[in-house]
Amino acid sequence: MPIPTLVEKLDWLKPAPPTDFETECVKGIRPGDYEIGVQTTNDILDEAMEIFVRSSRSYFGVSGDSMVAIFTAEGDLINASCGTYLHAIIQPIIIKFILKYYKENPGIHDGDIFYTNDALYGGIHNPDQVAIMPVFHEGQLIAWATAALHTTETGAIEPGGMPVSAKSRFEEGLNLPPIKIGENFKLRNDFVEFYSVYGLRAPAMFISDLRARCTTADRVRVRLLEQVEKRGVEFIVGLMRKMLEVAETGAFQKVKALPDGKFRSVVFNDAIGWTPALVRSCFLTLTKHGDRLTFDFTGTSPENPSSYNVHTQAVVGHIANFMYEYFFHDLPICSSTFAPIDFIFPDKIILNPDKLAATSCCVYIGMQCRCATHNCFAKMMFSTAEGWAQVASAPGSQHTAQICSGHSQWNLAVSDVLSFSLNTQGQGGRAANDGMDAYGFAWCAFGRAPDCEQVESELPLTVTLSQHWKDSSGPGLNRGGSGAVQQWMIHKVPEMLSLCMGNGSKIPLGQPLFGGYASAPIPGISVRKADLLQRMKSGDPTLALDHRSIFEQRDIKGDWTFELIARRPSMYREGDLLFGFSGGGPGYGDPLERPPKSVLEDMKKNIISAWTAENIYRVALDPEGRKLDASRTNEMRVAERKARLSRGKSYDEFMAEWSKKSPPQEILQWYGSWPDAKPIAPVFRP
Amino acid sequence: MCNRCDHVLGPARDNYKKGCLLYDRDPREVHTPIVEGSFSFSPDPLWVRIVEFYCPQCGTQIETEYLPPGHPVTRDIEIDLDALKARLESSDLVIKDNRLEAGQ
Repeated sequence: MPIPTLVEKLDWLKPAPPTDFETECVKGIRPGDYEIGVQTTNDILDEAMEIFVRSSRSYFGVSGDSMVAIFTAEGDLINASCGTYLHAIIQPIIIKFILKYYKENPGIHDGDIFYTNDALYGGIHNPDQVAIMPVFHEGQLIAWATAALHTTETGAIEPGGMPVSAKSRFEEGLNLPPIKIGENFKLRNDFVEFYSVYGLRAPAMFISDLRARCTTADRVRVRLLEQVEKRGVEFIVGLMRKMLEVAETGAFQKVKALPDGKFRSVVFNDAIGWTPALVRSCFLTLTKHGDRLTFDFTGTSPENPSSYNVHTQAVVGHIANFMYEYFFHDLPICSSTFAPIDFIFPDKIILNPDKLAATSCCVYIGMQCRCATHNCFAKMMFSTAEGWAQVASAPGSQHTAQICSGHSQWNLAVSDVLSFSLNTQGQGGRAANDGMDAYGFAWCAFGRAPDCEQVESELPLTVTLSQHWKDSSGPGLNRGGSGAVQQWMIHKVPEMLSLCMGNGSKIPLGQPLFGGYASAPIPGISVRKADLLQRMKSGDPTLALDHRSIFEQRDIKGDWTFELIARRPSMYREGDLLFGFSGGGPGYGDPLERPPKSVLEDMKKNIISAWTAENIYRVALDPEGRKLDASRTNEMRVAERKARLSRGKSYDEFMAEWSKKSPPQEILQWYGSWPDAKPIAPVFRP
Repeated sequence: MCNRCDHVLGPARDNYKKGCLLYDRDPREVHTPIVEGSFSFSPDPLWVRIVEFYCPQCGTQIETEYLPPGHPVTRDIEIDLDALKARLESSDLVIKDNRLEAGQ
């Protein structure tokens, strides 16, 4: 079977050597023309992205969780419009697979449309689907164009595209290796028919997103050929190769400037499917030597029989999100930026599972690799003049990924994820600033929260509360950005099926930096038989809609449930409530060093509570919480520093007690051996 | 060295955490419960602890790690000092305003 091996995948991430034709073409690219050419690719991609967002139907599409990209004839990425950087580095794997195995049969021709969503062949997970078109000029393959988007349905054993209970890939619904779905610029009817049955839970969304990908990729193709007509094929081919070369030079320079050494971070996850379980989701040793970086994941927990595993290239995709948001922020989104980077994935870890593994919820584990990358880079960059200002804690990544399925108020079949609680996560605290509040989606830097009105018009919900989530951000000298909270009321239908994916109820996700604290965990919360709808109908003047008061005082009456964020499918009736949270970012630096006036400002903005101001930041305020008491603040901070010196133990004394402890055995089922996380039993899958 | 009070934590080739004071913090003391029960917006103290690292002279909280109880403390920074010295001597790197910068 030609399923790409790990060696092939890692090799295909690296740019192919230039052909003789490309080398000749590069010589003709003059200064000035090069910069204009680069900008032209930006313009082509941005136009295509606009078309993509406007053509998509799923909330991920509407939110911009997508990528449009241009590749060389050899399959190397030269530029992209994002969306999400998740796909940026890894899509060459798919194109190079097609070039290697499909050249003769089924062939690669002008007007072909290829399609895939199978993580075994280079994707993230099967909701992420990509349309791929070769770009031919006068019979010569000169480039490729792709459009990738997460569609929230795959015909799996649960609605929503990311079945939590899938134990193997056979329970994930559509898993499509690269396949030719169109010829002569037309989708094949037999494929559309085959594809449609996987989207029966939400046919309009499913097929609209398919067509959106194809029309977007084709727009890129058309615009590229217009440039070929205008500037000549030699210019376009030379431009793309030169973009690879310039980006590669920049990446090597940036890596080389870092101090050499080893940098480590370890992060944990608290759920495997529906089961509360502790796993060491990423143990990263990052080695910098000369002008190269090596990511070594030795020490990460073994694979498990759930959908919380990640195929290797999807780990790289998550790391790309960090690299392009921070370290490579000033380089183009280009394959060659990863030329200085190597990866070591031990066999059968949760980041390199068997080919039969389910990986539909891989993003919850993959994100932990991004979190660990933040901390390793922070320790490596903070001493450098160029890099220190890019140091930041990981973004908040816990969230309520609530899936709504059934029939809408318009009697249309729907199956979608509520995107607000994904696209409003807090940025991690930074070396020079706080993290931004509700900055976006940890997986998709440019994702945006959909309008409440749009959600209400298409889904049987009313959004009755939308606020910053108080005390969600990680405290620190520079605090993490605040997460957010929404309250969703089932409305205008008798009932709706809902389930939830996610993690981060038992432990905070991601490590803070340099003495800060992490962000708050998220429970799953629902209220059945809530009295809210009735009180709204009657115009109850006592109705308050402050989320903290609602939780603490139970202002809304009904049957409240607090549980693990990942929840099994269940029917909810009209008037029932669900709460959606987006995680705050972890903090940076000692909270005692945060300027008291900033703490006061946080309180006024409802980002933190009075309890946090007094007990974490040690800031004294007047009884109304409006004025600082500088003298008492100073006393409280001096006292806390003394208390630290009093309660802190020497390393040896601490380790003598600490090393005797361990978590409860029952939560270590999928951890591996304690504490080094080595495999202790084979994994059985249906 | 603590960059707040210049206290020497230990040899640069060793783990700086060995020169700190360490404290095993119940995470509920930082992430206070909002509601009662197992899912309270607080981390579960049986699952995770906050290991706090303090400068033994000035009490600055230098680092924190969220670790399951008993999990080994991470050696997070291991600078290749020999490479650093060589690069500084060859001006491959220079120090400017207390930070490393690429040389000419």
